[in-house]
Amino acid sequence: MKTPVSVLRLPRGPEPNSRGFDPNSPRYIALCPTTIPASQGNKADSVNLEEEQQLRSELRECFLRSLIAMTDKQVQFNLYEKVQVQAKFGASDIDVLNFQVSDLQTPLGVQKEALLRCQDMISYSFHL
Amino acid sequence: MLVNLSWLANLPVSMMPQEWRKFVNHEVKVTAHDNQQHEGWVFTVDPVSASVVLVAFQEKGGACVKVVLGHAVREVQVLREGDEEMEKKLKSLFTPAGSQSFSAKELKERKESLRSWLEKNLIPVTDEGDVLRVANVLTISAPYGAEQCISSNEIILARVQSLVDSNPGQKDQK
Repeated sequence: MKTPVSVLRLPRGPEPNSRGFDPNSPRYIALCPTTIPASQGNKADSVNLEEEQQLRSELRECFLRSLIAMTDKQVQFNLYEKVQVQAKFGASDIDVLNFQVSDLQTPLGVQKEALLRCQDMISYSFHL
Repeated sequence: MLVNLSWLANLPVSMMPQEWRKFVNHEVKVTAHDNQQHEGWVFTVDPVSASVVLVAFQEKGGACVKVVLGHAVREVQVLREGDEEMEKKLKSLFTPAGSQSFSAKELKERKESLRSWLEKNLIPVTDEGDVLRVANVLTISAPYGAEQCISSNEIILARVQSLVDSNPGQKDQK
């Protein structure tokens, strides 16, 4: 049985006074370029835009459902440098930049609570 | 200082939702940055992170879900096209246990059954398309169960909810 390792520090959460989602924040601009250029098409028709938005919400809803299905399940994360870790999935943030997990099995021991950076991951998998 | 980023245009990460949608419900092979290949049926592609959600069905009936993060996707190749049945199969995997979805016909029947039950109990009810309006102060939306009753009047709300629950013509699943 691996001994738990003490939690070091958790980063700051989102602004309590806003909705927590700021498209102008340097973090979002640096790490989430995908959603910004797509809608700034060359004079996109309002009809096209509406269609695009409809598609986006459908795709996003399905993705959120997949996150819900993952909650409290054992998930295997494949990170870069051929590192694989297992943990119980807790939650994700809105931009899919961080995952909150519990009982993260690492070579150094079991982290009771941890935040995994999605930038470090290649893929993750779990069973339904 | 100019940096040439035109190679980014060929990455799935910079696709438009319409292009992502073309992969959904089909079997694909995703090549990741570590040169690993992942095969599975595409349930969705997250528009925020461009992550591809793949499902592999197992013989024993369960399913293995593998998600490749958008920034790690090198290439996506379609292997097999899926059909409506696959779409339903995938959707049902992710619908939480206990929730039910009704077809348009079933919803209409439920609405009719509730409306006639309320009328039998001398409650004034009108059919307003998707919702039932009771005595102008309460609305019942799909799927016409006690949980879907909305009103600012507590007394009427309680009365109508207990009526909805006691509808003999409707077997309500919780």
